[in-house]
Amino acid sequence: MKEKNRVTRFFSKPLMKQNIRSNYILCIAILIIMVLMSNIINFAMSIMQSATSKVDVSTYQEEFYTYLGSLATYDQMTQGELSYHDFIAKADTSEYDIAFSMLNKQAGTTLSVEGFEEAITGLKQSNISIDTYVKQFEYSYALAQTKGVFDQEELTMSEMLSTTLEIMGVSPDVVKRMGEMDTTAMLNQMYYTVIGLLPIFILVVILANSLIAELVDRGSMAYVLSTPTKRSAVAITQAVFMIIVPFVIISVVCMTRIATSFLFFDEVNVPGILALFAGMYVLVEAVCGICYLGSCLFSQSKKAIGFGGGIATWFFLASLLGMFGSENMVSTGMGIEELSIFNKLTLIGLYDIDSLATVGTGSVDTAFVWKICVLVAVAVICYIAGAARFVKKDLPL
Amino acid sequence: MAVIEVNNLTKDYGHGRGVFNVSVQVEKGECFGFLGPNGAGKSTTIRHLMGFSKPQSGDTKIMGMDSTKHSAMLQNTVGYLPGEIAFPAGMTGVQFLKMMQKMRGVTDTSYLEKLLQRFELDPNMPLKQMSLGTRRKLAVVTAFMHDPDILILDEPTSGLDPIMQEIFIEYILEEKKRGKTIFLSSHIFHEVDAACDRIAIIRDGVIVSEFNPKILKKESDKIYRVTFEDKSQWKEFTSRPYQFVSVNEEKLRARVQLKNSEMNAFITDLASFHITDFTEFPFTLEDYFMQFYKEDKIFEGVK
Repeated sequence: MKEKNRVTRFFSKPLMKQNIRSNYILCIAILIIMVLMSNIINFAMSIMQSATSKVDVSTYQEEFYTYLGSLATYDQMTQGELSYHDFIAKADTSEYDIAFSMLNKQAGTTLSVEGFEEAITGLKQSNISIDTYVKQFEYSYALAQTKGVFDQEELTMSEMLSTTLEIMGVSPDVVKRMGEMDTTAMLNQMYYTVIGLLPIFILVVILANSLIAELVDRGSMAYVLSTPTKRSAVAITQAVFMIIVPFVIISVVCMTRIATSFLFFDEVNVPGILALFAGMYVLVEAVCGICYLGSCLFSQSKKAIGFGGGIATWFFLASLLGMFGSENMVSTGMGIEELSIFNKLTLIGLYDIDSLATVGTGSVDTAFVWKICVLVAVAVICYIAGAARFVKKDLPL
Repeated sequence: MAVIEVNNLTKDYGHGRGVFNVSVQVEKGECFGFLGPNGAGKSTTIRHLMGFSKPQSGDTKIMGMDSTKHSAMLQNTVGYLPGEIAFPAGMTGVQFLKMMQKMRGVTDTSYLEKLLQRFELDPNMPLKQMSLGTRRKLAVVTAFMHDPDILILDEPTSGLDPIMQEIFIEYILEEKKRGKTIFLSSHIFHEVDAACDRIAIIRDGVIVSEFNPKILKKESDKIYRVTFEDKSQWKEFTSRPYQFVSVNEEKLRARVQLKNSEMNAFITDLASFHITDFTEFPFTLEDYFMQFYKEDKIFEGVK
């Protein structure tokens, strides 16, 4: 005998199965894009870090210049032709032994062939070729020989450089900062607040629309509702799908990111990466909530996608503009501070990656806590409002 | 107690569209036909019975339960065939039927098998590749797979070929015999004519007529066409006090509209004439239905 009072109130398994069946290809495609993007950027960052992380060679440089200076003085005194190139080309260093001991006697220094060799090997650790250092020495030595014609002040290399740059219209400060800029922080900012979000935003907009508004618009919702399935069950099932899918995708991306980080870097701040991706998930859920609300409010697919897609696009573009106003960009001279106002006009601005990245380090900045709470609140309110609207409204089926 | 009740249902969509103060009662075991042109409000009424829309005023009840509040539970006893076929994307017919079975909690597939056989449907192909007719059949099978006591059918035979229409109407009549209550909306006269015990005609959201087709057929006036041998006979007949629908002097014909009570006198009278032809123009629901259309058109013309 059939049961006449069977009603699905909260969750419909067959509907969930159907959701998975009709959306898994898109979800997997987005997942692959996100995994690739995240890890290639991670790889690029490791390359960049090793390129900029020079060994400190300043002491070797100083020593090397001292030797070159001494050789220059010696050459002038004795009309000799001792030089760095001559030194490394010759196997016999006796000439230099004589020169150094003479100089030692005169100036009370402790120069030696071994000391020179040591300075050379030390300096070779840097990425800049020794020839370049020799060349620079030539310039400094030449400049040190004379004084300014008009003001009689000493001429220096750095002064010459900044004067030349100023003539060319480049602020020497910018050049100095560029040399010091934190490219990894910039790439992180770019990945977490702009490009890393694009694929999942697209996914969320499409999913939210296809789960409710499209079913209503096309009329296939009639089949779901002509079974003993309450509208509340439909609303909850679809919301659960919207909560689980981004979670799975972001988790996989996060895990691969941690794994490749161990490959590329010596030191990995696992809690920091987890915090960054957890924050990303909360942000994505807030956008999910908004798109879900749009899907529940509108019975026409194009209106729902216009609402969710429009807001998500705005968030994305504002974040892109806001990135050029972020501290990381402004300090390198590539941004304009005024653009940072855009960060206040997008929910992505509440995704505070700088403070989230401090999780797991000695000094945790808790500025992210209230921002994350706001995002959670947006998500919760939107989901509840959307579901309530869907349960109540007239469906054109 | 009426199985399906619509009490003073009003839903105004604006621009004169919607339903206004519609009341309908369908008793158990009855087949009720809801006839009307496109956009008259048939689907709107059904939407309320299914709980997709909420009434502005009035209410709709199935088995005495408010159909908007208890729509989900009522689906255990209701089989609904939507007017428009829109299956979910990306699945085959078999998968779809399985999903619907699970959602309905149907475990016994024997009735489903019977339906598939009856409508000659092979659901083992992607829904997208199905022809309109096949999709229609699948929709029919889906609506009835749980052997519901109440059938709500929105234009059920549109899209079916004539043979399938026959099979469908046969099926409806059988179900009626099994004691099912049927609510059928249509703008096709003959399916309503063939299956329904009672018919309501709806136009512009208002029920304009409700009748029993059998009684209507019995009681309504009949029209006969008589052809005479010569002109004098024709002239004599046309001078009699009958209600002539039309007369044709050239062909010596006359059309007479008669009430059942006048029939005997007419036949006796006719016996004294020399006639070459005598034809009855049978009453059809279509004629009756068209009256309402025509009135509408005249009305539009005057305006």
